[in-house]
Amino acid sequence: MSKDIAIQARGLGKRYLLGANGGAKDSFRDALVAGAKSLIGGGKKAAFKEFWALKDASFDIRHGENVGVVGLNGAGKSTLLKILSRITEPATGTAQINGRLGALLEVGTGFHGELTGRENVFLYGSILGMRREEVRRKFDAIVEFSEIANFIDTPVKRYSSGMYVRLAFSVAAHLEPDILLLDEVLAVGDLAFQRKCIEHAKELQKRDATILFVSHNMFSIKTMCDRVIYLRKGEVIYDGDVLGGIELYEQDCRGAALAWTETKPEEWPIYITGCELLDERGDAKTMFDYGERMTMRLHYDTRETVDDPNFIVAMIRSDGVAACNYSTELDGLSLGKVVGPGTLELQLPAVKLVSEMYSISVLIRAKGFQQILCGQTAGTFHVRHHLFNTHFGVFHEAGNWRRVDQDSAPRVASGQR
Amino acid sequence: MNQTAAQVNPPRVTLIRPSGGLFDVDLAAVWRYRELLFFLVWREVKIRYKQAALGVAWAVVQPLFTVLIFTTIFGIFARFPSDGLPYPVFALAAVLPWTYFAEALRRSATGLVSDADLVRKIYFPRLIIPIAGVTSPVVDFLFGMLILVGVMFWYGITPGWSILLLPGWLFITLALALAIGLWLGPINVRYRDVMHTLPFITQVWMFATPIVYPLSMIPERWQALYSVNPMVGIIEGFRWSLLGTGQPNLLSIGISLGVITVALIGGAVYFRKMERSFADVI
Repeated sequence: MSKDIAIQARGLGKRYLLGANGGAKDSFRDALVAGAKSLIGGGKKAAFKEFWALKDASFDIRHGENVGVVGLNGAGKSTLLKILSRITEPATGTAQINGRLGALLEVGTGFHGELTGRENVFLYGSILGMRREEVRRKFDAIVEFSEIANFIDTPVKRYSSGMYVRLAFSVAAHLEPDILLLDEVLAVGDLAFQRKCIEHAKELQKRDATILFVSHNMFSIKTMCDRVIYLRKGEVIYDGDVLGGIELYEQDCRGAALAWTETKPEEWPIYITGCELLDERGDAKTMFDYGERMTMRLHYDTRETVDDPNFIVAMIRSDGVAACNYSTELDGLSLGKVVGPGTLELQLPAVKLVSEMYSISVLIRAKGFQQILCGQTAGTFHVRHHLFNTHFGVFHEAGNWRRVDQDSAPRVASGQR
Repeated sequence: MNQTAAQVNPPRVTLIRPSGGLFDVDLAAVWRYRELLFFLVWREVKIRYKQAALGVAWAVVQPLFTVLIFTTIFGIFARFPSDGLPYPVFALAAVLPWTYFAEALRRSATGLVSDADLVRKIYFPRLIIPIAGVTSPVVDFLFGMLILVGVMFWYGITPGWSILLLPGWLFITLALALAIGLWLGPINVRYRDVMHTLPFITQVWMFATPIVYPLSMIPERWQALYSVNPMVGIIEGFRWSLLGTGQPNLLSIGISLGVITVALIGGAVYFRKMERSFADVI
């Protein structure tokens, strides 16, 4: 293994056994009952379903590389991180790690509410693998970074959640590992905190640290990573430049259930089967110029008759900002009874969103914004403009300007100062 | 590269692979994580005394009231013999180590579940948790010892040289609690029934151990069978060390030690084998 390799993974796999009845045996009684049943059944073994959360994953990561691990929910990203951080053991394969590894899968795990901020800094530091001496040496810097010096001797149960996260994160930020495993849960929190998180990662990049970053946020992947490993159903199906990885993600996202929907997609009474974006000429495309008109066609199908569903289409920018939103009910279209496959067309006004990537989330609700019938990502598109980016806000619409002072020459107005 | 970090922790190579052999217990890793062990023990002690209004007094009040009740019921009403000693001293010398044992057992058996967040999200040798579990109640035990000293002084009892062996008895008790905790801990991860039945088991166990009554109350022919309970030899050992009663039965202590050693090694292997799946099932 050459010296400049930080992580070398060979054939990593993780298998879970799912019980035949689908549920785990959580009490001794259940286990006894199951045992008795299998005895009665002539010693027939309960059928277990094998499930490979990660299969034959191999890759090399060099020192100093920043790699994004991308994939849909359940693709095996977290499992990979858990194996590399040794929280769980692989079923197959090996991985060799050269250097000090720090894993931040969740900020503040191990914090205890009854202890003061100061005490928690030491406790959490040791949980993350820092020596007491090291924490002591960095203590002042940690407190300063957290911006909560006044509360450092207050029990953390009295902290606001923001203070709590800030303190935990500043301890983690001072870990100074050679290799950092970072889960996107970190990026949850307020915008200022997300920014701090990314700034910190950039700081680490400058010091030539290796970062393995799991995220659903293509914006952070784009800013932070120079390589993407793409996982689908536990397998590495792509390992290469960032844009290629993001493209795959967009493809896979199409039609995927939104992460927070509680019902099973197989049980949705109505669902999206496809989505096309058309330009003014009627050609399908995903890259639109700022100001272009867009027409969206949503294809759907039903499993039962749905009475007057409300289709809600939201454009979500890649950094998670909900940019705009359309709804059949709000926009005055009543669909009546819907059965079988059909298509819905949405004519959009000229796109004035800033230059970025957007995903289209479709929610279908029962009449009157009631129960959610379906929640899917229908697709993604890009908006292109040479100037208007996220620094200009969410959208840009030209305003009308005029001067209301006397008809004096512009030179006078500017020359007085 | 960061120079200081590299100096404190020289770059090391970690190999991750599916663990194989039975005797894959990595004690070196436990040693590497000794500071975490220290902080987990420190956390338990801090929290225990911080949350309570009475603070440290709890370590004292609890055994004191227990002994008060035992003295009233068993000493005064039931008139249990007490090896010729005042009943309160006789009881307290056994209640303190028993309280330690019960608490150490409870914590080592249920620690993995109460620290489930850590197990799910952070890597460290899981053995640290039961070890911390049996270590932190030692502090309570030491505070309790202060009471015993006071009570002994009150009754004018001075211990002999055998008191020097006290740490030895404490260590054996710790080893026993850990040995059982190593077996029960992983089972508790899978089946929470353990933590529900444990208080009941320790209660029954207490009455099967000469705490409120002396060993001499057990008929001679039953004593060998009775001594299969390793806590019998241990509690008698504590009394001998502190109060100079009886003579430790070397044979039964030898058997206890043998059983504890085997259970401890077996427990470590079992724990290691189960450890792999903790993060997945907890």
